[in-house]
Amino acid sequence: MAEHDEYTIGQHLQSQGISRRAFLKFCTAMASALALPPSAALAMASELPGKRRPSVIYMSYQECTGCLESLTRSFSPTLENLMFNVMSLDYDDTLQAAAGFQAEQAREAAMKANWGKYLMIVDGAIPNANNGYCTAAGKSALDSIRETAKGAAAVVAVGTCAAFGGLPIANPNPTGATMVSDIVTDKPVINVPGCPPIPAVITGTLAHFLTFGKLPELDQLKRPIAFYGNTIHDRCYRRPFYDQGKFAKTFDDEGARNGWCLYELGCKGPTTYNACATVKWNGGTSFPIQSGHGCFGCSEPGFWDRGDLYKPLSAGLWHGNMAAELGTAAVAGIAIGGAAAMAARHRQDAHQKKETK
Amino acid sequence: MDLLTFARGPALQWSLIIFAVGMLWRLTGILLLRRKPDHSEPRHTGTWRGALKLIATRSVPKREFWATTAFGQIIGYVFHIGLVIVIFGFVPHILFIRSLTGLDWPGLPNSLIYLSGAITVAALIAVLIRRVSNPVLRMLSNFDDYFSWLVTTAPVVTGLLAVAHLGARYETLLAIHILSICLLLIWMPFGKLFHTVMIFVSRGTTGALFARKGAST
Amino acid sequence: MSEATLPPLDTESPRLSVEKPGQRYDVQGDIPDPERIDIAMRSFVRDFGAVAATYMESCIHCGMCAEACHFYVQTGDPKYTPIWKIEPFKQAYKREVGPFAPFMRALNLKRKVTVEELEEWQELLYDSCTMCGRCTMICPMGIDIASLVGLARHGMHKAGLVPHELWAVAERAEREGSPLGATAQVFEDRVEWMGDEHDVDMHMNLDEAEVLVTMSSIEIQKYPESMAAVAKVLNHMGLSWTFRTDGYEATNFGLLSGNADWQKDMSMKLIEAAIACKAKILLLPECGHAYSAMRWAGANLYGKPLPFKVRHISEFLGEHVADGSIRVKKGLGTSVTFHDPCQIVRRGGAIEAPRIVLEALGAEIHEMEENRGMNWCCGGGGGVITIHRADALRYKAFQIKMQQVEKTGADMLVTSCSNCRQTFDDGQAHFHWDKTAHSLLEAVADNLIDEES
Repeated sequence: MAEHDEYTIGQHLQSQGISRRAFLKFCTAMASALALPPSAALAMASELPGKRRPSVIYMSYQECTGCLESLTRSFSPTLENLMFNVMSLDYDDTLQAAAGFQAEQAREAAMKANWGKYLMIVDGAIPNANNGYCTAAGKSALDSIRETAKGAAAVVAVGTCAAFGGLPIANPNPTGATMVSDIVTDKPVINVPGCPPIPAVITGTLAHFLTFGKLPELDQLKRPIAFYGNTIHDRCYRRPFYDQGKFAKTFDDEGARNGWCLYELGCKGPTTYNACATVKWNGGTSFPIQSGHGCFGCSEPGFWDRGDLYKPLSAGLWHGNMAAELGTAAVAGIAIGGAAAMAARHRQDAHQKKETK
Repeated sequence: MDLLTFARGPALQWSLIIFAVGMLWRLTGILLLRRKPDHSEPRHTGTWRGALKLIATRSVPKREFWATTAFGQIIGYVFHIGLVIVIFGFVPHILFIRSLTGLDWPGLPNSLIYLSGAITVAALIAVLIRRVSNPVLRMLSNFDDYFSWLVTTAPVVTGLLAVAHLGARYETLLAIHILSICLLLIWMPFGKLFHTVMIFVSRGTTGALFARKGAST
Repeated sequence: MSEATLPPLDTESPRLSVEKPGQRYDVQGDIPDPERIDIAMRSFVRDFGAVAATYMESCIHCGMCAEACHFYVQTGDPKYTPIWKIEPFKQAYKREVGPFAPFMRALNLKRKVTVEELEEWQELLYDSCTMCGRCTMICPMGIDIASLVGLARHGMHKAGLVPHELWAVAERAEREGSPLGATAQVFEDRVEWMGDEHDVDMHMNLDEAEVLVTMSSIEIQKYPESMAAVAKVLNHMGLSWTFRTDGYEATNFGLLSGNADWQKDMSMKLIEAAIACKAKILLLPECGHAYSAMRWAGANLYGKPLPFKVRHISEFLGEHVADGSIRVKKGLGTSVTFHDPCQIVRRGGAIEAPRIVLEALGAEIHEMEENRGMNWCCGGGGGVITIHRADALRYKAFQIKMQQVEKTGADMLVTSCSNCRQTFDDGQAHFHWDKTAHSLLEAVADNLIDEES
C-alpha cells in the first residue's frame, strides 16, 4: 500500500477514472456540510489534487464494526467512496487483505514513513481494567493505541465507543473501558460520536483536516460544531407538533400515524447534538425519528446507562423502587411528626405541672 | 455522571424523599396536637360542609375588602394561576408527574405555556417589589418569605431560559431547572410554601368551627 | 399595684372604667424578668392545641388582615396589622410546640422572646385589638386571628403584663363578683328600684324558674332600664323567670384580660345559679363577649354539655317575635340602622334575629354598607374601652363607625350590646355627634302589645 503514496491525490483520482466535475461536487458538498464559506470549496478543489494522499491508520478496539459499516456500506457512487480515494488507508485490520505479521509490518512502515503526519482513526473503546484485553499481535489495546498515537498528527475517535466509551463503558464496565481522549492526551483528538456516526460526518471531518491541515471548530466535547452544533429537536421536522402539544402516546396510535412528536415515547432529541435531522442517513433518505422512533441520544456520553431509552426526558430517573422508598419516607415522616406532637404534649403537661406547683 | 443525569436521578430522588418526610412530619406534628372536645350546643351541624364551603369560598374576594386589597389579590391570582398553567399544562411537566403518580391529562400548547411563564415571572417580580416597598409586608417579612419567593421564582425563570436556550446549552439549563425544582421540593415542607397544604387544613378548621356556631365566614 | 386596695371606679363618664390612673401600673407583681417570660410562654404553650397550631403554621405574611382592622385602616401604622399582634407568640409557638421545635431550640432558629418585647406588645394585644374578628373574614388562609389574640392574652396575664385598668377591673370582678361595682347588693337594690320605677314585677332568687336572666354590669350601672325591659318582655310572655344574686354578672373580664382561672370562676357562677334554679334557658344580656364566654366557652369550662340552653337576648327576641309569643306593635315607624355587635353576630352566629325584631317593630331597615359579618367594630370591645391610654386610638376607629352610620341616612341607631352602646355614648360625647345607640331590647319592651289594656 505504501507505494501509492508517491502519487498525488489528483493523479490518484485520474487513475480511478474520477472526473474533475465529480471531484468539484465532492468539494462543494464537504464545504457545505462543514458550514464553510463557498470559497472553501474552491480552496479544497485547488489544494487537494496537488497534495500527496495522506496516510491514515484505522485502529479498531472494543467495537462492533458498525462505524466502519456505516462508512463503507453506502450507496455507490458516493462521496464517501471518493473520500477513500483521497486518502491512503494504510492500516485497517478489517478491510485490509494482509493479515498477521504482514499487517503489523504495514502499519509500522506507514507510521515510520509518515511520522508526525499520519492521521489515526480509532474505532471502539479501549479496555483499561487489565492490560491484556483485546490483545492483537501480542500488543494489548492500551499499548497499541499509545504506540500508534505517538506519531500521529491527530486522532479521530469515530463512533460513540471511541469518543465517549459507548456501550463498553456502560455499567458494570467489566473491561474498564475508557475513551480515546482519556488516553491520548498529547495529540489533538476529534470526536465523531454516533452509534454509528453519519458517514458524511466522518468524511466531512476528515476532509476538513486534510484540506486545511487543522482541526475543525470543536465543541466542549471535542465534536465538530459544524455537525454537532444543534440538537436533533431543534432541527426536527416534527418540532411544530411539540410546540402545539401534539404527541404520540404509543408507537401505533393516531398520533404516531400522524407523525406527531415522539417526546412522550422517550425521544432524546432535545438533549442530543447531531446532524441526523438535517444530513440524514442512507444518502439523505431518512433518520430514526422520520421512521417513527424517538432519538436514543446515541451520540451523547453515557446514553446507555441513563436507563431511560423509552422514558420521557422530563421524567425522573428513579434508581430503586420508587413506591417503596416514597412510602417509607411517608411513614418515617408520620412517625417523626407523631413523636414531635407527643413531645410537645409532654412539654405542655410539664408546664401544667410546674404551674400548679 | 453528567449534571442532567444527576438532576434527573439522585437529586430528584432525594429531594422527593425529603419532601415526603418533611411534609408528613410537619402535618402530623400539627394535627396530632391535643384537640379539646367542644361541649357547647351547636347552632348547626354539618361542620364538614362548613369546612368545604370555606375552603371554596375564601378564594373569592369579598366585595367589602376589594377596594383596598385589589392590587395584592390580582397579582396573587395572576401568579398562582400562571403557576398552575405552567406546572400542570406543560406536557414535559405532565410526563414528570405521570412518572411519579401514573396520572395523565392532556397538555396545553407551548406558546400558551411560555406566555403564562412570562406573565408569572412578571407577577412574581411585582410581588417582590410590593413586599419590600409596602410597610406592612416589609415588617411582616422574614427570611422565609424571601427564600420562598426565590425558590418559587427560580424554576419558572430557569424553565423559560431552558426553552429559550438562553445562557447555556439546553441540557445544562434543563439540569439547572430540575435542580431548582429539587430546591423547591426540599424547602416546601419547612417554609411558608407549606401553605399549599395548610390552606385546606386552616380554612377547613375555621369553616368547621364557625359553621358549628353559625358564625360569619 | 397593691392588690389590697381597689382602684376607684369612674361611673360618671359616658363609659365605665376605673378612674384614669395618675400613675399607670401596666406590669403586675414582683417577678424577675426571666421568670416572667418563662411564665408567659409556659402558660401560652400549655393551652396550645391542634387548632391554634394549625393557625400558627398557616400565615403566609400576605398582610391583607391589616386592611380589615379598624386600627390599621385609621392610622396606617403597620404595627396594627392583626397577625403582627401575636408575633412574639408565633415565635414562642415555633420554638416550644411546633413540629420542628427541637431544631428551633437546638439551633436557636427562633430565639426566646424577651420581656421588653412582651411589654411592647401589650399595647398591640390589648389597646389595639377588640378581638372583633374582622381580620378572620379577610385572611386567605382562614386563620382566626382573634382567637390567637385571646390565647396570647392568657400568657400576658400570667406574666403580669396586663394594662392597668383592665387588670384592675378584672381583679375587682374576681373579688367582688362584678368589674364595675355592681356587687350583689347593688344589683339587688337596682333591680328593686327599676321594678318600682317602671311598675314591673321583678323576680329575685327564685328556687325554680324556667329562665335565669343575667345582666352585664354596664347595664346594671349605666343602663338599668334593661332590667325593667327584660322583665316586661318575660312577664308579657308569661314565663317563669328569675334574677339571682349568686349568678347575675354576665360580663367576663377573666376572658377579656386573659385569666383563664378567673374566666372559669365567673362562668361557673352563672352555670351553678342556672342549675340551682333548674333553668331551661340561661338568658344573656345585651353584651357581646358575655355571649362568647357562655354560649361557646361555657360548656367547655363546665366540662360537659350544659343542662340548659344559652341564649342571647336578641336571639331570644327574634325567636319569640317570630313564633308569636312576643307580640309587638309597629311602633318604631322610622328608619333604623342596626350595628352588628361582633361577638354576637359575626362570631356568634345570631345574625338575622335582630332584623326580624326590627321588621316586626315596623322599622325601615337601612343596612350599613358593611353589615352582618362584615360590620366594622365599634372599637370598644375586648376590654379596649376600659383602657384610658387607648382613647385616642379608639376614637380614630370610632370615626369609621360614625361615617358608616351617617351614610345610611337612618334616623335611629340600634344595637344589641351594651358595651357597644357605651362606646357609642363615649364617642358621641367626644365628637359631639347627634346619634345615640339604642337598645334593641328596650325598643321591644316599649312596643309590647299588652292584651289586658
